[in-house]
Amino acid sequence: MKGTYLGEFQEIVLLTIIVLAENAYGVSIQDEIELRTKRSVSRGALHTALMRLEEKGFIQSEYGGATAERGGRRKRFYAVTNLGRSALNEAKSVRDELWSLIPNVQGQ
Amino acid sequence: MSHHQPPKTLTRLLQLICREEFYEELQGDLEERYYRDVEEKGTSKARRKYNLEMIRLIRPSVIKSPTISKSMNQLSMLRNYTVVAFRNIKRQKLFSAINIIGLAISMAVGLITISFITEMESYDEFHTNLNRLYRIGTTRTNHINDSNDYASTSLLLGDRLEEEYAAADQVVSMFKGLWGDLNKDEKLFNFSGLYTSHNFFEAFSFTLKSGNPQTALAEPNSMVITEDLAMKVFGSIDVVGETVKKGNLVFTITGIANNPPKNSHIQFDALASLATIRNMEEYEYLFEWNTMWSSYVYVMLPQNHNITDLKIILDKIVTDENSKMETFSMNPNIDAMADIFPGDGQYNQLGNMMQKSYIKQVIILALIVLFSACFNYANLSIARSLKRAKEIGIRKVIGARKSQLFNQFVLEAIVVAFISLVFAFGLFVILRPSFIALDYSTIKTTTLELTPQIILYFVAFAILIGALAGMIPSALMTKFSPLAVLKGISMRGDRGISIRKVMVAVQFTLSIGLATLVYLTYQQYQFALNFDLGFTTNNILNVDLHGNKPEVLRSAFEQLPEVKMVSHSSLIPSTGNLNSDEAKIVGEIDSIVTYSNYVDANYLQNFDHELIAGENFRETGDDQMIVNETFLNAFGIKNNQDALGKRITYYDRNRTIVGVVKDFHYGTIYNTIKPFAFLHKPELQPEYFNLKIQSTNILTTLDKLDEVWSEIDPHHEFDGTFYDVQIQGFYKHMEAKMKMYGLLAVIAISISMLGLLGMVIYTTESRIKELTIRKVLGASVSNLIILVGSNFSWIFLFATAISIPASYYLYQQLSNSIAHKAPLNLFELIYGAIPIIAISLLVILSQSLKAAQTNPAETLRND
Repeated sequence: MKGTYLGEFQEIVLLTIIVLAENAYGVSIQDEIELRTKRSVSRGALHTALMRLEEKGFIQSEYGGATAERGGRRKRFYAVTNLGRSALNEAKSVRDELWSLIPNVQGQ
Repeated sequence: MSHHQPPKTLTRLLQLICREEFYEELQGDLEERYYRDVEEKGTSKARRKYNLEMIRLIRPSVIKSPTISKSMNQLSMLRNYTVVAFRNIKRQKLFSAINIIGLAISMAVGLITISFITEMESYDEFHTNLNRLYRIGTTRTNHINDSNDYASTSLLLGDRLEEEYAAADQVVSMFKGLWGDLNKDEKLFNFSGLYTSHNFFEAFSFTLKSGNPQTALAEPNSMVITEDLAMKVFGSIDVVGETVKKGNLVFTITGIANNPPKNSHIQFDALASLATIRNMEEYEYLFEWNTMWSSYVYVMLPQNHNITDLKIILDKIVTDENSKMETFSMNPNIDAMADIFPGDGQYNQLGNMMQKSYIKQVIILALIVLFSACFNYANLSIARSLKRAKEIGIRKVIGARKSQLFNQFVLEAIVVAFISLVFAFGLFVILRPSFIALDYSTIKTTTLELTPQIILYFVAFAILIGALAGMIPSALMTKFSPLAVLKGISMRGDRGISIRKVMVAVQFTLSIGLATLVYLTYQQYQFALNFDLGFTTNNILNVDLHGNKPEVLRSAFEQLPEVKMVSHSSLIPSTGNLNSDEAKIVGEIDSIVTYSNYVDANYLQNFDHELIAGENFRETGDDQMIVNETFLNAFGIKNNQDALGKRITYYDRNRTIVGVVKDFHYGTIYNTIKPFAFLHKPELQPEYFNLKIQSTNILTTLDKLDEVWSEIDPHHEFDGTFYDVQIQGFYKHMEAKMKMYGLLAVIAISISMLGLLGMVIYTTESRIKELTIRKVLGASVSNLIILVGSNFSWIFLFATAISIPASYYLYQQLSNSIAHKAPLNLFELIYGAIPIIAISLLVILSQSLKAAQTNPAETLRND
């Protein structure tokens, strides 16, 4: 199913946007991912992921208010669409199914 | 919020290439993070991160894609130009190689220059308050209006500013006297540092690893040491609260500082509180107005400050203090922190300094080499343009505009420049250590480390060089009339040829000029090394006593059979060290600046000084002095004998003249002989021993001396150097200059030779038919060689005639400060030009010989 495939990084971005709820914009998403995954994420990489997700219709965005520390520029807030949520669910259920097929993981 | 803007360069780039719908969001996000990083991690880290993020934004999903119809066409034309460029490079392997090698060599010089300048400009930029920091220096004028500029000033000035100038945010005083050995459990560690005020860390952006920056230097006997020194002394950086000794002083470690950044003009291993020495009797003189030699005052002004307020306060203090002084006056100079490094013209700098004039020289020499290589490219391209005339004609007929053709040829040059950049970068890495080792000041201040910013500059540089080199040939080639070239009309004799000749002439002028400069510097260097000082330096080993008691060492050294004589002195003359004070005849008013050296009774004999009146020092008796002839002239004493017994006030004492020595050069070739006196004071601690060595095996003797030394002083290495080596050491800067000119001359000459080779090959190839017809008609080989060579001979004549006087004049300007110049025979001046002309003739000869020996049948049978 080309077009709805969800890469690992894109999945993390989607989940982060849901976690951040009302406050999901570039800097906060970047910070949250860096905090959770302990790896550094460039704004450029994040941008690419966000564009892909928006193309697929998983997220939508709108401009918010301007603040002084951004040199008077507006923030762009992101929100996950229903399509995005179902893609996430689908990804999760595929994994859950695979996990359930492995006998006794903890024992290894 | 900090008022520091994020770096502009890359921001502009993003604005230019980013799709409009993303720009606001991305720029805003990056800026928000930048300001947060400034708060949390400091400006320099934030800037680096910001730049890195910017570079990572350059990706397809961010940058504008060219609008469809028009630019698609341009894009495919661009592709076509690049393909044609590569085809041309491949087809003309020899010429391309000459161009690429020449450009690569000169671009390597350019890369070094770029990274050097960038590094020099980055000095002291890490200070958050850079724009608010100023250093107060001094212009000291004595009563005969001799004045000198110093970077240092009196600590009293700092104290008074602190009291009387409440508007200043911080006043930081420093004294350079913290150096020597740190003593930890009787183990000694060499170090150097500063005594400084408690607010050091508030004014400057040096940071502490541990300890409180506000209080670390507040109490007497507090010391902050760097991470490196802590590891050396304690083997750990967890040492706050420990104590170390320096001489009689005991210091408590109150903080560990991060090592000062390399690009800071203020460098230290340790900082001790100025409060430590403030109330000590032996340091009282430091806080007097006339002590200004090794203390420094920095001021941090409030934001939106006005520098005139500072000037007014300074004027008031200085007028007040100067009125108490008789023989000299001091006037303050204000230097903005950003202007301190690189700098010149000031004595007693706090740290290492890079002369602005040195940077200028590097730039000029690099430009010479770069122009030379660009000329090569232009020359060879014009020479080959005939072969491409058809291509140009066809492009024009199909509808190419002039500007399009121009762009095509410039692009071709840029492609060549980029290929050269790859080689140049390799050369840059190879040449980097030699450049740093060139000069004392570069060793101390320069690393030439690569940063993303510098790499970006390199790429921009390649584009610039390509554009420069491509400009002239492109302009000429686009002028071709399509009708003329398609008909196959030859273009010989048109003005392209004269431009080419002018360019070759300029190249040769530069090469010969540089070679002459190298020759002159070499002559002066040799002259300086063999300069007759008026005393003997042969077989004298000067030993630095490192503060040891002389008596024990003297008797130990004297027991060695190889040591013929031991004398001592307070400094080593003729190696750039001078000591001076004003001398006057007791009871008279006029004083004259006199240089001096404290020595013992053996000294004159040891160095073969010629005593022309009076006698040597007696071991006992009151303060005696022996003066030189110039001293007598300066004081108007006509007869040598009259001088004997005269009482002179010098260095706060009345002294008796007991002898007169023949004039000698206590200074270097930069100094003329001025009044000089040997002083005798048996109780004074000498700094150096001068051992006269007579030995057939120097190495064993040195080993023996070392052994004797380590028995008496196990803490310091034996530090003995032969006098001649020390003199050579002083002239290192001259040797460095010679090497630098020499290296660049070799590069410039090789580039012009490559250019000449290309030109000669082109000429002989394009005239091969003419030459062979002449041969068939009976011209001899030598006739043909002269025919080809005469084309170039006037170039050499012209280049020699211009460059030799020019470089002679330039050398005179550069060596203005040298008092004793090497005698120069005008005929010698062409020595630099001879090898160049000889090689050029060889190049011409080999190629024309090749052409002249071609079998006429080979070239003519196709017609």
